[in-house]
Amino acid sequence: MGISEPLETNNVISGAIEAPRYSCALAGAYSTAVGMFGVVPILHSGAGCGIGQLFGQFYGGGQNAGGPYGGTSTPCSSLVEEHVIFGGEKKLESLIESTVELVNGELFAVISGCVPSLIGDDVGAVIRRYKEKKPEIPIIHVNTSGFAGTSYEGYEYFFDSVIDQLLEEKVPKEKGLVNVFGIVPFQHIFWKGEARTIKTLLEKIGLKANLIVGEFDALENLKKIPAAEYNIILSSWVGHETAKKLEEKFDTPYISFPGVPIGPKQTSEFLRVIGERLDVSIDVIEDLISSEERRAYRFAEYVGDVLLIARPHPYFAVVADSNSAVSITKYLANEMGYLPDIVQITDNPPEEARELINEELTTGLETPAWPEIIYEVDAYRIRENLKDRNFMFLLASSLETFISGPEFNAIHLTVSFPSYDRIILERSYAGFSGGLTLMEDVMSKYAGPL
Amino acid sequence: MSGTELTENELIEERIDLSRNTCPNREQRANGINVWYGKASDLAKEARSGCLRQRERNFQQSSGCVLNFYLSVRIGTIRDAVAIYHAPVGCSSAALGYRELYRHVPVELGRPANFDLHWMTTNLGERDVVYGAGEKLREAIKEAERRYNPKAIFVLTSCTSGIIGEDIEGTVSQVQPEIKATIVPIHCEGSRSRLVQTGYDAFWHAVLKYLVKKPEKKQKDLVNVASMLSYTWQDRLEIKRLLGKVGLRVNFVPEFASVEQFEQLSEAAVTAPLCPTYTDYLARGLKQEYGIPYFLYPSPMGVAHTDEWLREIGRHTGKEREIEALIKEEHEKWLPKLKAIRQEFENFKGNGEKVEVLGALGQGRLLAQVPYFDELGLKSSAAMCQDFDNLILKDLEKLIAQMGDFDILVNTFQAAEQTHITNQRNPDIAMTCPFQGGAFKRDKGVTRVHALRSDAHPWSAQSGYTGAIAFGNFLLQSLKSHSYQRTMKEKTQSTYKDWWYKQPNSLYYLKAEE
Ligand code: SF4
Repeated sequence: MGISEPLETNNVISGAIEAPRYSCALAGAYSTAVGMFGVVPILHSGAGCGIGQLFGQFYGGGQNAGGPYGGTSTPCSSLVEEHVIFGGEKKLESLIESTVELVNGELFAVISGCVPSLIGDDVGAVIRRYKEKKPEIPIIHVNTSGFAGTSYEGYEYFFDSVIDQLLEEKVPKEKGLVNVFGIVPFQHIFWKGEARTIKTLLEKIGLKANLIVGEFDALENLKKIPAAEYNIILSSWVGHETAKKLEEKFDTPYISFPGVPIGPKQTSEFLRVIGERLDVSIDVIEDLISSEERRAYRFAEYVGDVLLIARPHPYFAVVADSNSAVSITKYLANEMGYLPDIVQITDNPPEEARELINEELTTGLETPAWPEIIYEVDAYRIRENLKDRNFMFLLASSLETFISGPEFNAIHLTVSFPSYDRIILERSYAGFSGGLTLMEDVMSKYAGPL
Repeated sequence: MSGTELTENELIEERIDLSRNTCPNREQRANGINVWYGKASDLAKEARSGCLRQRERNFQQSSGCVLNFYLSVRIGTIRDAVAIYHAPVGCSSAALGYRELYRHVPVELGRPANFDLHWMTTNLGERDVVYGAGEKLREAIKEAERRYNPKAIFVLTSCTSGIIGEDIEGTVSQVQPEIKATIVPIHCEGSRSRLVQTGYDAFWHAVLKYLVKKPEKKQKDLVNVASMLSYTWQDRLEIKRLLGKVGLRVNFVPEFASVEQFEQLSEAAVTAPLCPTYTDYLARGLKQEYGIPYFLYPSPMGVAHTDEWLREIGRHTGKEREIEALIKEEHEKWLPKLKAIRQEFENFKGNGEKVEVLGALGQGRLLAQVPYFDELGLKSSAAMCQDFDNLILKDLEKLIAQMGDFDILVNTFQAAEQTHITNQRNPDIAMTCPFQGGAFKRDKGVTRVHALRSDAHPWSAQSGYTGAIAFGNFLLQSLKSHSYQRTMKEKTQSTYKDWWYKQPNSLYYLKAEE
């Protein structure tokens, strides 16, 4: 095993990067807003930020259109030179008024980009004034900018604003209610399917799951956040700031997992841990596990021939964000008998998270073959790192689609951002049968007459 | 409105000043605007008399900026170059498809088998906006050279680099001696202009200033054609086919071109348009600096305009006779097909009424589409275009004289306005740019204005004779099923409240003049 030196000691990358697999903090907050149905994002930014993210986040995140509030449907103050000089507050003020008047929506989220932060617009004051005038209109301000971080941080900024501006009072805890964080719309390309699968799973053990992303009634769901008994974080690092803040403000404890569980082994473990923390009867958990397992493995028998005759125990490489990389690698290694060669993690997790990720990708594997683990965001270096290796499968993004065959002689599947070449609507690899779906996708790439 | 008329000189700033770092904005150069609704003749009159003014809106939607409409996705397609975005990480995310672009074009259709596209971001952060990031840009340029040994390195600026006052030219001239590649700074700060077309001019300014070489020889058989993303691989093939038949070669720039193709722009016989206002700055620049003749009207869309386009090229290359023979030959082949399509459109409604289409996108496409639709026997009593400026004024006047008056909605991707006008005019076919908000949810026909990626399927062609037929068939096909848009209309919530559709004014949110 060789774990290379991390790029940086904290998670701010200061140098230039080729084609990083994420966008800016505004983009993350914007994607998050668009990813919960009922929030109307209002961009206080240049006119190109929204369209840029239509291409860079929504198309990139599984070739999805912007939907009713994303892309060219997104209200935007479209700041130019004169606002740089005279300020953009007035423009924003009238944009908020008109948006509330014109657009169907439950919650309005003003998201600031680079221009207002650079020129020092007091957006907070604009929002306060508006709230005084129209206290009945739910509105928040996500005070971010393009240079304040990446899409992943933008996700946290969004919830940070929700907590500060929308969730004021403590409310009584609701028995069995849990919030789930850590799935970033579009950056985690299977976000919709993952949210739905996790919700159903938790419901099956008697919990009420508030996934927020991928769900209707966004405002109601957001308001429910403080009533939860527990926060479940499906990431080794994304959503952790949000969870900590909720713990401070509402005394909600949290528990985190390295990613969304894929296949029976990870899903069973996930349910057992949750069950223990949330006092779910062991019988309920074990009954569910045994019936789901039974089915999943019965079905897994069907791939036996193609798996063992066509491509048994191949080496594989992964290039993905940390959530996806951990869950996918573990599934391939622990359930399909594939051998991990190299895992490149592209979302630049902070130091604390890397320890856990490294552990998951080594001692967490049921194989003596441990992968080389590299934290890398630069597309050139990622490509270099893939040269001269043994892998026969490359589970990565659509950046690798066309180089995988000619350069690495590997079979490629897009499983991470960006995914321009796969349309992802409901599909995901989460849960007991998600592993089956992953096998279908991987093996369909080479299936044929045996 | 005053009765005075501005001269061409007053209408357009004709001189291109390459001693400057960048072009003037379209607002200054040609009095560009992106908000208007009314009769085309009134628009022309106001523009001609100089009273046309940009107005403000109280409601606006994300629509693209100088960088993030066109340049961020397309400059990275220039082969043997590297694009560096001097920006925070979000401004270039639209470019993330770079390794997939053009890969869908089969090698058998003439795309090079081996090519590799590259871009980097200087990834400006909190520290950089305080202390400046010249050093970072320098390092990125050097790194680009180390990695790829490119022939050119494009540096694209952003709102942030502009507002913090980065000295791009200073950095570039400092580092250029150490770098083999030609460094080409493009001033495309999003905040500099309201008009996305300023991005075209800013790009061509940089190309003319840094990349185009003095001609070593004249290439009398070479035709420059500026071809942008909305023109497909099939359009290129058709143009190549036509010009190839009379012994001419085509230099397609900028997308997917090699750096050498830019260097040779000064050696061509003529610069011809696909889109006039996309090509304008380049064409004028090449004329002014190297004497290359150009024409901007018409574009090769529809049979009549393709004829004229070819004739113009024939005049500049001494191929008049060959072109006439070509036109004749092509007409024999294509006119019967055009007639068949026309007939199908004419019979479509069964009551003698014409099929009504709402189309256009860029102002250049407006000039091309309206007559083409007429050729097809379609009626277009209104059209939309992204912006309007004096560059097309003369041709718009000509068009009105020829076709009669029609209505124009000028806006850059304002989805609410476009949804409103589509709803109100209720054409049989509404053409939408693929990302035009909810305007597609309706009971009647919907189709795209154009493809976005360089589609290689013959079905996607719009230019030349094959394009005229392919696009005609394409439009016919769009009339035959409404199920997707109709279902979406019925089953999904509209972005806008009901009152929006009930009131009559598409420009409801136009700000009152102070
Ligand atoms: S980096 Fe700044 S200017 Fe660029 S898209 Fe993000 S918010 Fe907009």
